[in-house]
Amino acid sequence: MRGLTRWLWLALLTGSLSGLAPASAQITETEVRLTLDPAMVKGSPNAPVIIVEFSDYQ
Amino acid sequence: MLDQVLTEYRGKVRLVYKDFPLPGHTLARPAHEAARCAGAAGKYWEYHDRLFQAQPNFERADLLRYASDLGIPAEPFVRCLDGGRFRGLVEADIQQGRLLDVTGTPMFFINGQRIEGAAPFETFKALIDEALRNVR
Repeated sequence: MRGLTRWLWLALLTGSLSGLAPASAQITETEVRLTLDPAMVKGSPNAPVIIVEFSDYQ
Repeated sequence: MLDQVLTEYRGKVRLVYKDFPLPGHTLARPAHEAARCAGAAGKYWEYHDRLFQAQPNFERADLLRYASDLGIPAEPFVRCLDGGRFRGLVEADIQQGRLLDVTGTPMFFINGQRIEGAAPFETFKALIDEALRNVR
């Protein structure tokens, strides 16, 4: 994590970035929406735990 | 290892793959696009696995040969790859990774909890078990 920034994430079918204003002036929470390609997903679509892997092939 | 995770946590875990070709890997972006082209033919994971086996051989001729080896029809695959059909989506994944401070690969997020690099199964297990407790 960078500094006191706490990252949250939410997987949706559209992409955008929005900022959340926290109660504390020293902690910033940012929501990042991830696009999801069904062809690049393994496992149950209703699974409660989502592992997102950013990877290269080299 | 992730296949082991999916097997042991069947029904409880979903894996989402995101493209993050690193800047120093000049042939990486076409490889990622080619994988998506293979996905359009229903062979994403087979091609994905093939690329890992074949690294770093990602010249255009190699990418076409891998598709052929997997029985992917040549003409639509070539059209997809050469036309850059998925270039924008690969770039979108890169931008999303940057927003999450991804600088190296692999990088994992388990319900938001970050794991950098190729961690052992036990590390994934601990975070998955914690995530499962938190969703109940």
